[in-house]
Amino acid sequence: MIDRSPKPPEALMRVIAQDLRPVKPSPRPLRLVLRAAPLALLVSSLVLLATGVRGDSGILGPLLTWGASAAQFTLAIVLVWVAAHESMPAGRLPKETVYSTAAAALLMVVAITLSTFSLSPAGSTLRIAGALPVPPWIADLACGIGSTVAGGMLVLLFTWIFRNSLATRPTIAGALYGAGAGLAINAGWRIACPFPTLRHTLGAHGTAIVATVLLGALIGRLLGSGRTKSRTANNI
Amino acid sequence: MIRYQGGSLEAFQEIYAELAGAVRRYLAHLAGGAQIADDLLQETFLQMHRSRAAYNPAYAVRPWVFGLARNVVLMNRRAARRWAQVHESREELPDFAVFPEADRLGSRDEIRRGMASLSADQTEALLLHHEWGFSFDEIAGMLGISAAAARARASRGMADLRVALNSLQRARA
Repeated sequence: MIDRSPKPPEALMRVIAQDLRPVKPSPRPLRLVLRAAPLALLVSSLVLLATGVRGDSGILGPLLTWGASAAQFTLAIVLVWVAAHESMPAGRLPKETVYSTAAAALLMVVAITLSTFSLSPAGSTLRIAGALPVPPWIADLACGIGSTVAGGMLVLLFTWIFRNSLATRPTIAGALYGAGAGLAINAGWRIACPFPTLRHTLGAHGTAIVATVLLGALIGRLLGSGRTKSRTANNI
Repeated sequence: MIRYQGGSLEAFQEIYAELAGAVRRYLAHLAGGAQIADDLLQETFLQMHRSRAAYNPAYAVRPWVFGLARNVVLMNRRAARRWAQVHESREELPDFAVFPEADRLGSRDEIRRGMASLSADQTEALLLHHEWGFSFDEIAGMLGISAAAARARASRGMADLRVALNSLQRARA
């Protein structure tokens, strides 16, 4: 009997045969994300170890200080989980789920910012700021640059975790884990930052989150376009 | 797939023999031509090889490879802006097997013409379900839509196909 099943072309077989080292199967998206969560929590908490808890935490209460950050961190992990699904060719979530999770994250950050601002008004903020040895614009720079750098580190960590990503929309997947990194960092940073003014929150912290989203999207796009070049490089 | 992840060349050949034919037809449908499908088929299996560590054995292999094939077409479409060229140069209707549900509705040529009148989303869902036998949950995971939306696309596609075939048959009569 003649075997009529398709055979791989010689050129493809050559490439396959060149690299047949055993590989470890990727974990499920939830397990993948839960593995990254402790490290994300550590990077997010570094600023707290350095500067301590914000001066107005007594006015805000534990729910708005720690509870809001815990909720924000959880949502950050959910965003990374959505990105993990987006990175699988056969495990994608519906577009509505992806976009509504991103919208929920944005709304949560805005709600937390406004709640914090309304309970810790400018008067007490200025008192706290007056007690600090630096002018507000230096605090803006410190929070903006510091949380962008910390967020960037987390984006690089997620990039390494998603190095085998097969996302159909790599820019979206990257933006999602970038947003997760930004939110995770902000969850720790907001407990340490004593400036709850809208200008500072939007200008410094908001910009840092936007920067990590853009960084993630850019890396995702670069990795995605790198995949399309692989075939040409192998001369198949 | 687990043996392949462990480094077995024979396992790769088995996967290729098992899936290449169906994946090629799917690629021909997505990209609109047999010649480009051959090209993209090699690229799909190369991507599969490079990303074999990304496969989780908890998931079925077939939807994973089909999803990867779809991914390859979309990435190529974006990278080389080939899609427009493909559509400009498409001279013949795509070649695919006529699935049993459609077979009784008309001749092969009529069905191909009817399918050509459907939207790309409907045709894809219809073929994935009826020709390649994927469940709506699997289609949902591949297309990034809900299972209900996948079912709706396929059933609307089938309904529109019936309408298109009726029009064709009436015109012929």
